Amino acid sequence: MNASVIPPARNRRQARRLTALSAVALVALVSGCAGPASSTSEATGEPVSGGVLDVSISAEPGCLDGHGISATQQQFLGRLIYDNVVTLDENGDIAPYLAESWDISEDGRTYTFHLKEGVTFSDGSPWNAEVLGQNFEHMRDPATKSPLAAAYIAPYVDGTVIDEYTFEAHLEYPYTPFLYTLAQSWLGMNSGKAIAEAPETLCQQPIGTGPFTVADYQPGQSISYTKREGYDWAPEWLEGDGEAYLDGVEVTLVSEPVIRHQSLVSGQYDLTENLAPQNAAAVQANPDFTYENLPRTGSPYVLSFNLSRAPFDDLAVRQAFAAAVDTAAVTESLGFGTYTPIDGFLSKESKYYDPTVEGTLTHDPERANQLLDDAGWSGRDGEGFRTKDGRRLVVEVPTVESSTPSPLLVQLQGEARKVGFDLRIIQLPQAQLSELRYAGDYDALAGVWHTNTTDVLFIRYHSSEITGERIGQNSSYVDDPALDELLLAARESDDGPEAEEAYSKAQHRLLEIVPGLPLYENPSQFAYAKTVHDVAVDTSHPVPVLTYAWKAE
Amino acid sequence: MPILRRILTRLLVGIGVLWGAATLTFLAVHLIPGDTALLILGGPDARPTAETLAQVRSDYLLDQPFIVQYGSYLGNLLQGDLGQSYRLRLPVTDAIGQQIGATAALAAAAVAVALPLTLAVAVLSAQRANWIRSIVSGVEVVLAATPTFIIGFALLIVFSFSLRWFPIGGNQGMAALVLPALTLGLAIFGTLSQVLRNELEDVLEQPFILTARSRGMRDLPVRMRHALRHAAIPVMTMSGFVVAALLGGSVIVETLFSRQGIGSLTLASVYNKDLPVIIGIVLLSAAVYVVVNLVIDLLYTLIDPKVVTA
Repeated sequence: MNASVIPPARNRRQARRLTALSAVALVALVSGCAGPASSTSEATGEPVSGGVLDVSISAEPGCLDGHGISATQQQFLGRLIYDNVVTLDENGDIAPYLAESWDISEDGRTYTFHLKEGVTFSDGSPWNAEVLGQNFEHMRDPATKSPLAAAYIAPYVDGTVIDEYTFEAHLEYPYTPFLYTLAQSWLGMNSGKAIAEAPETLCQQPIGTGPFTVADYQPGQSISYTKREGYDWAPEWLEGDGEAYLDGVEVTLVSEPVIRHQSLVSGQYDLTENLAPQNAAAVQANPDFTYENLPRTGSPYVLSFNLSRAPFDDLAVRQAFAAAVDTAAVTESLGFGTYTPIDGFLSKESKYYDPTVEGTLTHDPERANQLLDDAGWSGRDGEGFRTKDGRRLVVEVPTVESSTPSPLLVQLQGEARKVGFDLRIIQLPQAQLSELRYAGDYDALAGVWHTNTTDVLFIRYHSSEITGERIGQNSSYVDDPALDELLLAARESDDGPEAEEAYSKAQHRLLEIVPGLPLYENPSQFAYAKTVHDVAVDTSHPVPVLTYAWKAE
Repeated sequence: MPILRRILTRLLVGIGVLWGAATLTFLAVHLIPGDTALLILGGPDARPTAETLAQVRSDYLLDQPFIVQYGSYLGNLLQGDLGQSYRLRLPVTDAIGQQIGATAALAAAAVAVALPLTLAVAVLSAQRANWIRSIVSGVEVVLAATPTFIIGFALLIVFSFSLRWFPIGGNQGMAALVLPALTLGLAIFGTLSQVLRNELEDVLEQPFILTARSRGMRDLPVRMRHALRHAAIPVMTMSGFVVAALLGGSVIVETLFSRQGIGSLTLASVYNKDLPVIIGIVLLSAAVYVVVNLVIDLLYTLIDPKVVTA
């Protein structure tokens, strides 16, 4: 905002010069900014109880009920207040949590959960089979407006309360990802009492069984958590018992990346859940901080091609585009060296990742040109773009409007131009973008999909996930019977060699289809002061888990 | 009772303004292309089921023709119901109510910075030597012309990052209010002070000032007692600008300093296309304008009785 009456011209020129000068001075000051001069080197020993951990987060979901949102921040926030039916242990395997054990029927359609006894919600109400049923209903109740959880339990038909601590869930078809999705932060367990009495309050005052409870929530500003007295049912992989060590966690929204970085190094916050890549080097070089850069499982960043229309309905054009782009160089500059380039359609951390996919999609401009020549895009127009039958080789990529165009798309534009693609970045308001997306009115879209199950390949590339009657995430419009069969077989078979083989074949099949251009791993980048100890990391979502974290004063 | 009639007319005009604002915003929002139901369900990272989508459409009357939606909206508005926030799943009145205190505190603190500073600087620098006026007006122009974001950032770098006198952000305590209030207050001062000094310099040329001086009145009392009263009226017409600066500036300042408030809410709502909240904030802003103008109007009559008969 510029608040000024129009000053005389002489003054105006002077003002502009000074503003420019002050901007230069600012940059100089910022880059020369030193960190705190303190250093902590106490030996990590016995955990200390007490204290409040100050955390800054980059965005705030506006609602804290995991069932009602799809926000990324829920991965971290949900772990503070919720427990889940099951968890993924340090090896990424399903392990007990609020369910001590479970049986899966021969046909894979009935799951019998044997629940942990003596667990209570922070409102005093008990955890039992009836409450598990209530949670399934709450997830899929249209009034919850669930953008994510409901879809994850879509095969759930109904359930039976066998006795107080035994619940039988009936699925429409065998669905091995079921347990994995139940371990995700968005599917934490809400109080049955609250669901029954006041479901509309769960967004602002969620009630879980977790290690902390929400004491105060100021939307758009902060969430104060206090330790849950009597908590004693953490999952085994956390290697801790009883209540949290911290008295509380104070989470504050700090949306500006530079301020998040500065306020961390100045000691105003102990931890930030999202450190911008441009600040990574400074924090890594700082002996007072721990920096983590962990890839998220699921689908990495991919520029998805729309296979349902020209030009990407032609495999040669897709292969050419993929060969034209130097993803290593693009990734390096985008992530300031913190992003990991990838050349397959599944994150390397995902279960059943097949390393033999690597090296297939390579940067090879010569091959790209050859492919395009052979595919008939051999003409050139006045601006040097390729043409075929008088039409230019245009690729329209819509993206959400912002003050500066997406650096990723700008770089891809430059790379693709070298072999004669005219990549056009179309900036649109979010509402229009969603509509284009669901109407399939685009040539390519950049995006990512994080989930803790390899079923992500089904979600992204199975033909039943093409948006039609309902909204799907197959934005490439891949409709390949061979791939469909593999993905269906994989999700229906138990964890083991059979699933492994199907997923491996599916990953290779995707390299033959080339539904998009894989770019880089979807990273979770966080940092915290060395005074904070025992910050655990979850294998469902690589985000900080603070259940048994503690602060050395 | 001319004063009462004035107030009543003003109020009626104000209600008309509010209705116009509500209608225009509603229309503008309606003309934005795109499916609102999809927006409500979280954009690209969502996989809502068909049932959920249908529920949202019927909940928010999105399956109804425009006139039905508008009628229902206006009807609810008359009952003080601004509808539900898409993102916060709260009544809009609650969503705004939660934030209004923080912004009011920020605005009050910014005015507390800007007004005394404006009075002191303008009164003391009017009709002074050229080099003094050049320096002072140079500083004012820079403050008025520099984007709020830059001023705030500069203050942050000096007083928070380097000197560590103030917290880098947040709503905790008075210390956290100092830099945001300075950021917002300085920008307003930069503009108001220029206007007030120009007015003062005009007034100080007037014969009645000369008369006062010739009676042996000292310089400062002349400026404060006589000149200021006359110069203040044109400055008061700038109140609209001040309100705009406070409301607009709060978006930047609250974001930069990680503060809660209407500004942050505006940004988050625009970013997430939380339409009911956006309309609510537009109405609130319009209401603030109406009230401020009414108050200024009444103040005129107190300061300058001529206005009433005009």
